[in-house]
Amino acid sequence: MFTTDHAFYLWMSYGAAAAAIVAEIVMLRLRRARAAARIEEERDLETTD
Amino acid sequence: MAWSYFASPATFYRLAGRMAPWFFALAAISGALGLYIGLYVAPTDAQQGEVYRVIFIHVPAAWMSMFTYFVLACYAAVSLTFNTRLAAMMARALAPTGAMFTFVALWTGAFWGRPTWGTYWVWDARITSELVLLFLYFGFIALTNAFEDPRRGDRAGALLALIGVVNLPIIYFSVKWWNTLHQGSSVSFQGTSMHVQMLWAMLLVAFSFWMYTIGTSLVRCRAIILERESRARWVRELKAA
Amino acid sequence: MNAAAAVPAPLAPTGSFFAGFAWAFGRDITLALRHPGETLLVVAFFVLVASLFPLGVGADPQLLARIGPGVIWVCALLAAFLSFSALFAGDYADGSLEQMMLSPHPMVGWVTGKIGAHWMISGLPLTVLSPLLGLQYGLAPDTLLALAAALALGTPVLSLLGAACTALTLGARGGGMLLALIALPLFVPVLIFGAGAAEAQASGLSPLPHLSLLGAGLILAVMATPFAACSAIRIAMD
Repeated sequence: MFTTDHAFYLWMSYGAAAAAIVAEIVMLRLRRARAAARIEEERDLETTD
Repeated sequence: MAWSYFASPATFYRLAGRMAPWFFALAAISGALGLYIGLYVAPTDAQQGEVYRVIFIHVPAAWMSMFTYFVLACYAAVSLTFNTRLAAMMARALAPTGAMFTFVALWTGAFWGRPTWGTYWVWDARITSELVLLFLYFGFIALTNAFEDPRRGDRAGALLALIGVVNLPIIYFSVKWWNTLHQGSSVSFQGTSMHVQMLWAMLLVAFSFWMYTIGTSLVRCRAIILERESRARWVRELKAA
Repeated sequence: MNAAAAVPAPLAPTGSFFAGFAWAFGRDITLALRHPGETLLVVAFFVLVASLFPLGVGADPQLLARIGPGVIWVCALLAAFLSFSALFAGDYADGSLEQMMLSPHPMVGWVTGKIGAHWMISGLPLTVLSPLLGLQYGLAPDTLLALAAALALGTPVLSLLGAACTALTLGARGGGMLLALIALPLFVPVLIFGAGAAEAQASGLSPLPHLSLLGAGLILAVMATPFAACSAIRIAMD
């Protein structure tokens, strides 16, 4: 895609940006899933009492 | 006008859930368009060749990092003035995304610097100020999470954000002054003329990053609400989603 | 506050900024004089770290003279920073801070008094000692003077900013490192202009612009930071 002798720098830049965005989205989904799971768990604990 | 209606986490939760996908869609579309123009349509730079195209990520990321901090400080001011939970939660939600863009700005700056100025790190005024901004974000995130009581973390973090936003121009000015003394060479992009396609590409990517930031902040704020308001009945009655 | 309003005016105690300042200042100085070890520790740390740099970079006189102002400033920053925990933590732990908040004197008064006393036992000794360390680095007398003047103007700013940050982190997990992360970025302008003053003098330029900016920063800090510190303490006390 980048046909230049500086292709390495372009790849590292765009790649890191893409990786950062993907990482953020993944971590956000994990955080949300964990929060939802905790609520499920508390809800179960409540109903069993 | 019952603004307090919108300050309710329950209302916000539903509203944010409906709005977030639209922001992500806008981000994707404008981002794709911006990158297309930047990578294929914009001409090769006379001095730097192809590698200048890093600016289509670097500059919008830097803009977002600063803009997000400013918005964060606004939410902090609101949360302290009106003592609301939701504004503080939005400030917390903005911080990680802001820090991410600060990091991307620094990283891409380094990989732009190596081929153009010969070195990965330059004590350029703006890059050094970006580094300080990254520490300000880390400080905010660390402080808000350093207390057992989340409300204490909210308020302490909000005050820190306000102190930071007041000091940021002072820090930038001092670093800029220091840089002109110690560097001497101008390392900006202003040497070449900015084609209109380059400008459009940058603006489109900046808009995309902005929409993305709003989207992730809304989603993160929803997660924070779930974490903090787990006792509330409306949360219990939520269908798991 | 309601009780005070119910009492007839002549009997209600009225506080003043200066009375509060004097009281807190006197108290903290007295306490510090009873435990001189703490002050001496700050000084010892300053001298120790400043002595480490030549061991690390080599004893080349030109190099040392070049890095001297910056190194001494960083050492002053670190030494002042390490003494911040003593500012509010002791009073926070034993409940005195809560009692002081009930004082009739305006909170800004006694908070500024505590910060002033803190500067007397940390920033002032560092400023006085800096010429000696400057000699170790082979700095010229006029540079030493500029350095001391810069420290005299800058260390109070450090005390003021540091007090606000310390108040924010009262009772927080993460202790000193959290304080470092929060406070050190805010110290950057003071460091830049403080070291810049001495370096300007060393290169034959006038240090006055730097010193003026430091002075302006000091005035700004004195006017604004005590209120920030008060807000931070109130947040910590809720």
